[in-house]
Amino acid sequence: MAQAWLRKVGLFGAALLLGGSALTGCSSTKKEAEGQGGDDPISIWASLNTNVSITLKSMNEITAIQEWEKATGVKVEFQHPAVGAENEQFNVMLASSELPDVMFVYGDYSKLYNDGSIIRLNDLIDQYAPNLKRVLDENPEVAKQLKADNGDIYAIPHLRLGEYKTFGGMFIRQDWLDELGLAKPETVDEWETVLKAFKEKKGVTAPLLYGAPPKLSTMGPAAANFLEAYGVTNTIFLKEGKVAYGPIEPEYKAFLETFHRWYEEGLIDPDFATNDQKTFDAKILEGQAGAFFTFIGGGIGRYLPAMQQKDPNVNMTAVQFPVLKKGDEPLFTGRSWEWSGAGATITKSNKRPEETIKALDYFFSEDGHMLKNFGVEGKTYTMVDGYPTYTDEILHNPDGLSVSQAMSKHFIANYPFVGEDDDRYNQQYYQLQQQKDAVQLFSKYSENTLKVSIPPISLTTEESNEYSKIMNDITTYRDEMFIKFVIGAEPIDHFESFVDQIKKFNIDRAIEIQQDAVDRYNAR
Amino acid sequence: MSGRTRKFRFSSAGAQQALGVPSEREEWKPGKQANGWVRLWLNYRKNKAIYWMVLPVVLYFLIFKYLPMYGAIIAFKEYTVGKGIWGSDWVGLQHFRDFFESYYFWRVLKNTLVLSFYQLLFGFPAPILLALLLNELRHELFKRTVQTVSYIPHFISIVVICGMVVDFSARGGLFNSIITFFGGQDSALLSDPSNFRTIYTASSIWQELGFSTIIYLAALSGINPELYDASRVDGASRLRQVWHITLPGILPMIVILLILRIGGLMEIGFEKIILLYNPNVYDTADVISTFVYRKGISEGSEFSYTTAVGLFQSVVNFILLLGANRLSKMLSDNKLF
Repeated sequence: MAQAWLRKVGLFGAALLLGGSALTGCSSTKKEAEGQGGDDPISIWASLNTNVSITLKSMNEITAIQEWEKATGVKVEFQHPAVGAENEQFNVMLASSELPDVMFVYGDYSKLYNDGSIIRLNDLIDQYAPNLKRVLDENPEVAKQLKADNGDIYAIPHLRLGEYKTFGGMFIRQDWLDELGLAKPETVDEWETVLKAFKEKKGVTAPLLYGAPPKLSTMGPAAANFLEAYGVTNTIFLKEGKVAYGPIEPEYKAFLETFHRWYEEGLIDPDFATNDQKTFDAKILEGQAGAFFTFIGGGIGRYLPAMQQKDPNVNMTAVQFPVLKKGDEPLFTGRSWEWSGAGATITKSNKRPEETIKALDYFFSEDGHMLKNFGVEGKTYTMVDGYPTYTDEILHNPDGLSVSQAMSKHFIANYPFVGEDDDRYNQQYYQLQQQKDAVQLFSKYSENTLKVSIPPISLTTEESNEYSKIMNDITTYRDEMFIKFVIGAEPIDHFESFVDQIKKFNIDRAIEIQQDAVDRYNAR
Repeated sequence: MSGRTRKFRFSSAGAQQALGVPSEREEWKPGKQANGWVRLWLNYRKNKAIYWMVLPVVLYFLIFKYLPMYGAIIAFKEYTVGKGIWGSDWVGLQHFRDFFESYYFWRVLKNTLVLSFYQLLFGFPAPILLALLLNELRHELFKRTVQTVSYIPHFISIVVICGMVVDFSARGGLFNSIITFFGGQDSALLSDPSNFRTIYTASSIWQELGFSTIIYLAALSGINPELYDASRVDGASRLRQVWHITLPGILPMIVILLILRIGGLMEIGFEKIILLYNPNVYDTADVISTFVYRKGISEGSEFSYTTAVGLFQSVVNFILLLGANRLSKMLSDNKLF
């Protein structure tokens, strides 16, 4: 008895010791074996949207995905990277060459193709994706964005063909404006007056809050909005049709002077550089923030109901993108291109590309389009006079989920995925009047943005390597110096040496690479 | 494990040779070539269990430490995923040159060395002091309580520790409450570059102090109590005892640990820095390993370049280790290898 027990314990111990190495050894061989079988699921790598992760563990559990599997007869299996480590895990996955069948990404597709990670899709689309082919034929502008310089297609896209292409902007505490008898600010000077009033009359710590999403380490969209009032942006853009880099333009210095003054006067959140989503949310919900950048759906749709529950007088409304002179039109509005830039790629490890393409093409068919945007008829929407209307399961969820969370549980409309966004989804997604006004206001000047933003160009592998190497250094440097200039650790007089250093990093070559790519794009 | 017994063993082997006593090896003259393998086999037959027990450790080092070294050759190549490790083009020392000429080279090197040096300067003597203090305590219960309380932080995950530090140093956090209580200014402590090194070093000491003390306490318990009795007869005070008996007693242990620490001088843990820093404090917080992490997998994907940087760090580490070992051999006759 005792001996048998000892032996068991001993074995268990040995298993523990070897466990680490044995497990890693096994998992890779298992994956390969799976890829070869005919009925095995197609693996799809995609980051998990936070609205989904609130109710579900994997996109496999989304109602629309299960319906999609039934309709196409294809089994899929989603692989999700850890939230917050998407970049790291993606890079490690590429380097290890252990790829899933499909990767849903937002990135440098030509580089992925030239590295040999993904395959070219033109012939497959011609043969097996009649619905996508029809969309591309009907929308030559989309086809131009989707194709690389040589005409290759590498991704099954996420498209925005409707009128809604701007999803976020500045929001302000309307109740405070009313209380103080102020009008909505239009110019940077008017903003300064309003923020001062918030500071002095309301005594808040963060009249202008920024720093948080989407990227914590950079300037934050609110700061970029004010910079863009000066006619330049935080990175590369088109200045009168030519590629330019915002931070080395003289307008950037003028912006820094304003922002440094605002910081000194306490008009912007003193903790802007260390804010994360948690502290950002907290400052809004505690009523310390007067104005901030957020998204119409996931941001205001969350903050406003939460705050009105405590105090029904709270009101937040959208403000037009700021400009310098009254009557100017804003140039940068965050308008998305028709192709959002996100798409599903098929990797070289995929043993059944035809089947995969057929399945993905389903989302461009009439049925698939409805499934992606509205879910299942009778359950999540009903047809009222030919208009798909969401049921209470979505709009007034019995389990207390917000609209975005309920949507994410049943279908894939409010974040990028293969298929086309439907305007009728956006019309109902924004339930609050403030949201409906916001989407109109933010889209008002969105055509201007086409003149200043870089189109979906493609770079060669060499160009892409060289460009990312240069820009990596510059971006780190720019973000650090931005903070130093604003908080006064570096006097603004040093702006010239800041520009010199960026030139030393070889920004001219980076601009040249982009200019060539833009020229090639225009020649398509 | 103590250096003194080692020294004894070396000198005895030396004495054997000097006296011309035939050692085991010389007796096995016939079949000299098969010699090693035969002996290994015989030894294996005799001590089977031990060989099997050592196997997982050998495998661990082979798989996780030696095998990955193959990948280090991409430091001399322009690695692309499509061509693979072997198929990528050679670029020689290009990546090393790029790093040495980089704007960030001196900054990350300086930060790495300064942070490590702080850890060594303040972090190394701290557990020795605590061990000496604990050793003088006569109240068992109090001694054990202090010990337990001081080593518990070691078992808390670094993620949790850093989360606490970040919260405490934020505006309105614990540290700021203390500072304002004494009339200071409420500020975001972690966005000031001049605070980073202090916060980093102090929190490390706080977390590891108790646990590192254990090894010194173990060494202390090995000191012959008769020495204390004898010194008391000679009229030595407590301090005298510490100076002449306790410290020399644990000196070999101190030296070995010091060598190990110096060997890992550049190997500053990047997890903790990544959890604590933000672009405000890159000036003092960005070290080689965080630089590699950002450039290599989080913000960029310059695999070859960052491999070269990592390799550079390992080489410097290796040189430091050899230097420390040599120095200690010269000064005190204690050494690692």
